Amino acid sequence: MAEITLTVNNKIHQIEVDDSWRLIDVLREQLGLTGTKEGCGIGECGACTVIMNGEAVCSCLILAGQLKDAKIETIENIEKDHLLSRLQQMFVEHGAIQCGFCTPGMLMSAKALLDKNPNPEEDEIKEALEGNLCRCTGYIPIVNAVKAVNVSG
Amino acid sequence: MHNMIGKKVPRIDSYEKVTGKAIYGDDINLHGMHYAANRYTDIPVGKIKSIDFTKAEKMDGVSAIVFYKDIPGQKRIGPIRQDHFVFVNDEVFYTGDVIAVVAAKTKEQAYAAADAIEIEYEPIEGIFDPAEAIKPDARLIHPDFKSNIVNHYPLIKGDIEKGFEQSEQVIEREFRTGFHEHAYIEPETVTAAPDPTTKGFKIYGSIQNPFTTRRMVAAFMGVDLNMVNVFSSTLGGSFGGKDDIINCMACRVALLSEMTGKPVKLTYTREESIKESYKRHPYILQYKVGFNNEGKLKAMKINIIADSGAYSSQSFFVTWRSVVQATGPYEVENVQTDIRSVYTNNPYTAAFRGFGSPQIIFAQESLMDEIAALCNITPLEIRRLNGFKQDSVTASGQKLSEHTVSLQEVIDKSLESSGYLKKLEDYKKLNENSTRYKYGIGLACSYRGCSLGAEGVDATSAIVSVQGDGSVYVLAGLNENGQGMRTTFCQIAAEMLGINLEKIIFLEPQTATIPDGGPTVASRATLTGGNAIIDAAQKIKNTIFEVIKNELNVTSIEETVWANGLISVKETEECLRSIPFEKAVEKSFKAGVNLSSYGWFKAPDVGWVEETGQGNAYFTYVYGCQIAEIKVDTSTGKIDVMKITAAHDVGKVINRLGIEGQVYGGVAQGIGYAILEDFNVQNGIVKSPNLDEYLVPTIKDIHKIEPILIENPDKYGPFGAKCIGEPTLELASAAINNAMKFAVGKYFYQIPLTLERVYLGKNLIKPSRQSEAGLNIKARKQGPRISGITMVTPKNLKKALALVSEDYKIISGGTDVIIELRKCKESSKLLNISQLEELKKIKKSKNEIFIGSAASITSIVSHKAIQKHFPLLIKTCSLIGSKQIRNRATLGGNIVNAAPCADSIPPLILYDAKVLLQSKNGNREILIKDFVLGNYKTQINAEEIMTAVIIPLPQQKYYHSYYQLGRRNAVNITRMSVGAMIAFDFNKMVTDCRIVAGSLFDRSQRIYEIEELFTGKKLTEELINNIEEPLLKIIDNAIGKRWSSEYKTPVFINLCKDVLREIKEKLEIRN
Repeated sequence: MAEITLTVNNKIHQIEVDDSWRLIDVLREQLGLTGTKEGCGIGECGACTVIMNGEAVCSCLILAGQLKDAKIETIENIEKDHLLSRLQQMFVEHGAIQCGFCTPGMLMSAKALLDKNPNPEEDEIKEALEGNLCRCTGYIPIVNAVKAVNVSG
Repeated sequence: MHNMIGKKVPRIDSYEKVTGKAIYGDDINLHGMHYAANRYTDIPVGKIKSIDFTKAEKMDGVSAIVFYKDIPGQKRIGPIRQDHFVFVNDEVFYTGDVIAVVAAKTKEQAYAAADAIEIEYEPIEGIFDPAEAIKPDARLIHPDFKSNIVNHYPLIKGDIEKGFEQSEQVIEREFRTGFHEHAYIEPETVTAAPDPTTKGFKIYGSIQNPFTTRRMVAAFMGVDLNMVNVFSSTLGGSFGGKDDIINCMACRVALLSEMTGKPVKLTYTREESIKESYKRHPYILQYKVGFNNEGKLKAMKINIIADSGAYSSQSFFVTWRSVVQATGPYEVENVQTDIRSVYTNNPYTAAFRGFGSPQIIFAQESLMDEIAALCNITPLEIRRLNGFKQDSVTASGQKLSEHTVSLQEVIDKSLESSGYLKKLEDYKKLNENSTRYKYGIGLACSYRGCSLGAEGVDATSAIVSVQGDGSVYVLAGLNENGQGMRTTFCQIAAEMLGINLEKIIFLEPQTATIPDGGPTVASRATLTGGNAIIDAAQKIKNTIFEVIKNELNVTSIEETVWANGLISVKETEECLRSIPFEKAVEKSFKAGVNLSSYGWFKAPDVGWVEETGQGNAYFTYVYGCQIAEIKVDTSTGKIDVMKITAAHDVGKVINRLGIEGQVYGGVAQGIGYAILEDFNVQNGIVKSPNLDEYLVPTIKDIHKIEPILIENPDKYGPFGAKCIGEPTLELASAAINNAMKFAVGKYFYQIPLTLERVYLGKNLIKPSRQSEAGLNIKARKQGPRISGITMVTPKNLKKALALVSEDYKIISGGTDVIIELRKCKESSKLLNISQLEELKKIKKSKNEIFIGSAASITSIVSHKAIQKHFPLLIKTCSLIGSKQIRNRATLGGNIVNAAPCADSIPPLILYDAKVLLQSKNGNREILIKDFVLGNYKTQINAEEIMTAVIIPLPQQKYYHSYYQLGRRNAVNITRMSVGAMIAFDFNKMVTDCRIVAGSLFDRSQRIYEIEELFTGKKLTEELINNIEEPLLKIIDNAIGKRWSSEYKTPVFINLCKDVLREIKEKLEIRN
């Protein structure tokens, strides 16, 4: 067990963690943030993607003991004041969601991209989302949704 | 005119899904809940000699362990034949069989106890080839069913022998298709809780068919149906996959919840999912086809063996669809089809989107192109000549007169939209001028029976309930699997009642509150469930109408229009003769009438004679045509699918957004099935246990997909709608295969079209012996997971160096270490250096660049000086894993792990990089080429930490080229790589040539003998071609005996030439 301090969705948590736990276990089991999903446990599917210190990471590949002073942002933090962000809205409008299980990870990868690069080209979008598998949508509506975020109108 | 139907409507469950608020099965946490873990068999086939629970029972937190002998009700379950062991008794039949299941207070305790159950076996030689299993003297897998043949369906039409006699040409071909894993992103999960009210259970989870689950649990627990209430959580993908496996899980947790009196949850890891879950059936298809010289089909004799695996499950129905559709959408007078599904000791096979059609379409549509070529006609001509037209008669003798037969229309529209005819010419020209890459275009078409057909009773239910304020609940006896059914159903209800979608809520289904609507399979939800909604809504409309008709001064409901929240009289001034829906509802409630209604739909009658395979199999059919455009790398055999044009007659579009989504998703799965998804099971053991080895398409593998939706309304469909879910998946493999013939001039008879299959004409599989099955049983973990970790995090490098020793594993980014830890049964002590800032620095000095070993790959790739001086390092590092992996993975980790496929090592060898090793006793530097000794072996000592990589700046200008071969376009385990950098003098003579090979030899290394061939010479095509012989010798000596060398040797030579050519071209352009 170790005691760590980390910031999750702008809230500081001081928690005891088991050394065998991963970031995803801390989020889901300890903090009750079940929006982040586990699909493979080995960083292949990206369903567990969160933003850590500004970068998209797989929360199944980070141990709790490695989280000291980390700033984590999860899917629960994108909606502000009951208003969907533009990125979320575009996912809805473009049909970028079907079963929705990859969606939180997909959105976090897309957000990490847009935070740094508000007007990405298609290949930059695909680069950012290459680690997020989706089995339902064939990806095309997802690319369209991310493209549409910073198009006026 | 419709108000709601045909529009692009965002999903009604969008909000919860984009905010992370949707509750999936594993998100359920009930008070006092315990966790379950399976104890799987250790060997795929054998007798169980003993089971010892002594150790496990005494372990911390364990509340119950149950196995075969504890089953209170029916011992074996199954949708059609009850042959499936939820717990095996004294024999195991496949690698995913479960012997016992444990409940404990925590997940880790449950897994640990499952690990501690000791089982002894007596292995039996398994039968893994269905062609072996079908032989009369084969060992019976389930002796109680008397035969390994699960079922045999014949179909006889006309006189097959006469048909062949009348044919001018007869050909025989054999096709094969592989297992296909659903790979829904959400692994399976089920929770059962005791229900004191019913004295039965409440079941929650990722459940595709709640009524089937209820039936199985009730039988297994020996209780009545009304004692089991099944709630399907938001489902993270299913595609036919969350049925039987879920039912087994539900039985196990129901029993555990009874034993413990607590809610119990069982959630799978991906490895458990892939091991236990069922797949699409592999088929062996033999086609004998007779035709005349003009291409007119005369006779088709088809013999198919389907691998049912260890259990029968849906094999009966899957193969039935195949027997109906095996001749494709073509008129053939004389047909004899025989299909048999056969027990083996492989993972069992059952429903998967497409359901017996993708296999036969691959075979029969590939065959049509081959026949066309034999008759010197085009793929279009043969399909026009033989394809179904209105009133054509199918192989089962069904006259297609009850719906619009739109085969020609779907073909024509897809041709037009894709520009097929022009592209034939364009690609032909392109291929004439291109040696390495070849382009191809090909098409495939199909017809498909909608809904269940003669499989069984085809009826379904719905409830529409209008509340006092005009808001509405909709419930359905079918299930939302993620495909968008709820949205479609609410649209239909909104259209019927003439109200806004926002007024309708689709209620979470539970089996207790709605009549059994049958399974959500066979693309039947919209077609049958939509009709049930219409039925319910119509009854309510009739009731309301009776209340308001006098006020509207009309006598028949046909005189009214229900739209935009108003009930109006047709062709009058709206404001004068209309009533708001809410008002009408209020009046109805005051009148004391019932505004809740059950809807029911029973499909029109169909029929089938089992002995002859004749009858009206389905009440309606859909038609589709897909055109594939591909690019093939002839150096490696890699296929890139550039575009699929998908034309489908859907009857009527209900939700355009949803239906386009079905096309994109189904086509993407079809592409995976065709070229990537190679489920590897050998001697019963799964060799592709997770998504790093079972490869599904990434976002970079899917380029363009163009949906073309054709609407010929069906008289039985809601607003004319038919089906779309499955037809989208079934065509891509044949279309791609036909495009392959165009591109490379060869016919292929087996999918997936892996690199090896395309290049060599066969798949290469790492050999494994049957004796492997029993090895390392003790070392295996039930459910890969991280356990037994202690971690220390030193504050600085000095402290880290003081600690580092054999006791510790060093962890930095963790992207390799954590994956290994999941498999490791022993406890581990970790030394965490991921937060040592001093190891993350990247510095450029006059002569070198210094990269801290804990610098992330992302920080390296985006570093300006590295970009300028070491482009090959940038190129290969950009290809490591995914964005998320590169953000965490470190250069030091990639090197110290020393995987044969490590992407950063080959360019560092080319650049003469050194690694800096530090220990409390001092520092040393080693050239990276010497540092890596072999697979996962380096020169590092237990007391050392690699702290930096130092790369000398190149002293002259080099031309670079690099090729990394992966099976797909992103997130690869590199199959092979080759890099070269060459410097030239002013006369264009080579002054320095460096070539490196990755993932070829025991470790990445330069090939000096080949480099020397170029030194002091001009880089000419002739010289490049001359490397073939010496390179062949070098590779042959080093790896000639390896299973993979048959592919790797020639392909590496190709790639080596290709990179040298690229440098030559760069040099020419430059000058």
